[in-house]
Amino acid sequence: MIEVVDLVKDYRAGDGSVVHAVDRISFEVAAGETVGLLGANGAGKTTTLRVLATLLKPTSGTARVAGHDVVADPVGVRRHLGYVSATTGVADRLTPREIFTSFGRLHGLDRDATATRVERLLAGLDLASCADRPAGRLSSGQRQRVSLGRALVHDPPALVLDEPTNALDVLGARDLLAMLGQLRAEGHAILISTHRLHEIEHRCDRFVIVHMGRIVAAGTRDELVADGAGLEDAFFVAVSRRAF
Amino acid sequence: MAQGGHHGGGWSRWQAAGWVARRELLEFVRDRRTLVITLLLPMISYPILALSTTLGLRTGVMEAEARLAPTKVTVAVSGPDAQGFIARMRGMIDATEPADRKEWPAEAVFKEINVAIAQEAIDSGAADLWLHAERGMLAGLDADRTVSVTVQSSTMRPPTNAVRGQFLALMESFIEDARRRRIESAGLPGTVLDPLALKLAGDQPRGELPVGEIMNTVAGGVLVLLAVLTMTGAFYPAIDAIAGEKERGTIETLLIAPCSAHEIVLGKFLAVFAITLATLAANVTSITATTAVSLKLLAGNASQSLALTTAGGIAITLIVFIGLAAVGAALCLAVTTAAKSGKEAQNTLTPVILLVSALAGAALLPGMRSNRLLPAAPFVGHVLVSHAAFTAAEAEEATSIAWPLFLSLASSVAITWLLLRVTAVMLTDEDILFRGQDTAGPALARPSRRPLPTLVQGAIPPIMGLAALWYAQAFMPKDLLVAIPAQQAATVLLPLVVLLWWQRVDLRQTFSLRWPGRGDGLSAGMGLAGGALLGAGVFVIGAAALLAFRGDGLGPEAKALSERLVGLILSQPWWLSWLLIAVLPAVCEELLFRGWTLAAFAGSQRTAGRVAMAVLAQAFLFAVAHVLPERMPQTFALGAVLGWVTITTGSLLPAIVGHLVHNSMPLAVLFASDCPPDIVLEGGGGGLPGIDAAGIPTGAVLAAAASVIAGAVLIQAAARVR
Repeated sequence: MIEVVDLVKDYRAGDGSVVHAVDRISFEVAAGETVGLLGANGAGKTTTLRVLATLLKPTSGTARVAGHDVVADPVGVRRHLGYVSATTGVADRLTPREIFTSFGRLHGLDRDATATRVERLLAGLDLASCADRPAGRLSSGQRQRVSLGRALVHDPPALVLDEPTNALDVLGARDLLAMLGQLRAEGHAILISTHRLHEIEHRCDRFVIVHMGRIVAAGTRDELVADGAGLEDAFFVAVSRRAF
Repeated sequence: MAQGGHHGGGWSRWQAAGWVARRELLEFVRDRRTLVITLLLPMISYPILALSTTLGLRTGVMEAEARLAPTKVTVAVSGPDAQGFIARMRGMIDATEPADRKEWPAEAVFKEINVAIAQEAIDSGAADLWLHAERGMLAGLDADRTVSVTVQSSTMRPPTNAVRGQFLALMESFIEDARRRRIESAGLPGTVLDPLALKLAGDQPRGELPVGEIMNTVAGGVLVLLAVLTMTGAFYPAIDAIAGEKERGTIETLLIAPCSAHEIVLGKFLAVFAITLATLAANVTSITATTAVSLKLLAGNASQSLALTTAGGIAITLIVFIGLAAVGAALCLAVTTAAKSGKEAQNTLTPVILLVSALAGAALLPGMRSNRLLPAAPFVGHVLVSHAAFTAAEAEEATSIAWPLFLSLASSVAITWLLLRVTAVMLTDEDILFRGQDTAGPALARPSRRPLPTLVQGAIPPIMGLAALWYAQAFMPKDLLVAIPAQQAATVLLPLVVLLWWQRVDLRQTFSLRWPGRGDGLSAGMGLAGGALLGAGVFVIGAAALLAFRGDGLGPEAKALSERLVGLILSQPWWLSWLLIAVLPAVCEELLFRGWTLAAFAGSQRTAGRVAMAVLAQAFLFAVAHVLPERMPQTFALGAVLGWVTITTGSLLPAIVGHLVHNSMPLAVLFASDCPPDIVLEGGGGGLPGIDAAGIPTGAVLAAAASVIAGAVLIQAAARVR
């Protein structure tokens, strides 16, 4: 569902030097699968996800979502992708219902389909009680659920989440991750990036560890983690090895 | 993961833009503080303006009316000839037709009085004035000598201005009567004194307050205020629409929706435009209501003079201001797109509002109406056209502004479209979208070294240059030999040097300091020749266009500059004139505009859209820096062409050569032609000496067009070699 092949993204730093933010990264995420993209700050996770979300254009390589190329058919990608990031905000002066409705219509859903979808999301994300309250008066957990609902309003087959639990407390993070488990069960392909490894250690089918723009390890938890150790230990081992 | 319920092919970009606009408007109307400032501000601004204006005008009108209102004047007459004087005065009054009693008192009473009590009479108010008629006064009037009469007034009870003025008018008539008697006694007809009966049609009666002229000026002021307040209607919504979304982190949610950047920008524009129109409507409502109140305050003749405008004039004004609202909304959106936060957007947009105010105000300067292309200029043109329509007393006058109205509307649509394209390019520009948050640092610390200046730094030297141009006027010598280098130093080099010291950049990259193309002889030659051909061609075509559209005549500033330049050329050796008029500006201005500013605007990640935006924006600043409105279209065209040349060849040198040749053309024309200097001086040419007022031969214009095409081909060829 999500395919990334030899993806490169360079940008020019303030001093004029070229920075290889992403350097020949390749991976894929199948339908009904959750893949964790792990890395320290500045590893290239956010850049990769922004390329997938069509916010950045790749320098070279390809990235596809549901068969649509991010460069050749960005609108096709957006129709099949839900994107939530730590920096994604919600419009404070709009209510969750208004936010879901406006994005449903922007995604081309007709009035009836939007109304049905909005009601299902409000119920499914436990937002029914605050559906008509301005988002600025919601808790951070509720706001992040609104953000997730906005990304799901067009029922995309692929979901990309960039550190979605950053602003949440333990309970909020737990609720959100439980919802993601449910979405995986429904057949969504989920790519989630985080540096809070313990949260997703047992929730992802596979992991891709990136360091300085390159993949340094990839595989299932069992493939990466040695006996008796945790994902965090495997991460440290991977980033200290030479990138391959 | 059902994908059902989607719209079919009917889902248009307008629907996507409509939903963006709807979301935007919903957010805006929930922001009550901004809503109040945007819509309520006009409701209080006009009453305050009108109160001060109307009260001042009312006081003036009342004073004028009091001065002109016919009053009763009582004159005490003493002396031996008092009786005779009074009788003759009464005779004259009775013999004068009422229509000829201009500015006379309503009633004039002349009383004979004993000289001993005359002072007491005027001090007590029994009489307004005291006139002593000496013995022989009447005889003197009929003879051929001048009779001296002093009219006394009381220092305790001084007569009013009305009494003085009306008494003097009466005495003027008395003197006139005496003059006629003398002429007739000499056997000549009375018409000897009237060689010409002159009447100036529409002349303001003497002493009457020119309310029409005052209200014309007030109307101009109100239109400038309307332009500025309409712009402020776009201020907050535009900041909220893009910079605010960036600050709140919601812009990404729109950018990953399945619609293009153009649709998002169109939607945001529609929302901001709608609010700007609402602000315009609030302003117009306030103006209408305030005018109604002012008319009541200014009862009588003055209020009739206020009824200046026709329904057609008001309609045209509204149409023009809808165009202004569109340009204003698009401009505010474009400017705020480059900002990361609401605060940064406010800082960037505030000078823009000030610039707009200056442009709108410039429309009221004398001589602006004569230029036929000026209605196309944003804000100046809007106020110019609406002022002409608003103050058109007759319907015919309103219809005569059809061309300016068309030009204003066409230019509003074109500028709005261009600005929205620029906004769409900037909205998805990775540099702008994902650049780091603003960082606070010591106030006077220099920024760290970078390869190119930033977007904002690109605009600073031209703006500093404009400010320097204003202040330098006071110190600028009249002699062009000193004034031209001094002006280049103050307005171009100094701002550039200051910015270069402040922001250390890669000089080679910023100023494109390399040979065109591959750098070999062939590509360099083609690049430089292309620049030269383009410079020559643009000069001739620009001059032809200027002569075709300049209207009734050149502005006095342009004419004076032209005359001074021709004077310089004729009085100095050719090489010195060439150095001052061509070489110096070509080098200095190219370093600033096609070097610093263009490099900053185009940035390091050059997409086609961003480059086009950069070329046009620097050309706009280049045109504004040349100040004279007549020259702006030509300088804009030259700036755009030289910007394209620099981007295409990767070198500043062809642009310098092009500018050099462009500025050398007047010298070449002057020296090549046998035109006597006085004819050249009369021809003017709008700051372009050597161009005759009669126009440019078609052959020369065609040759210039061929030169432009050949130049463009050479530049492309030089770039391909690269």
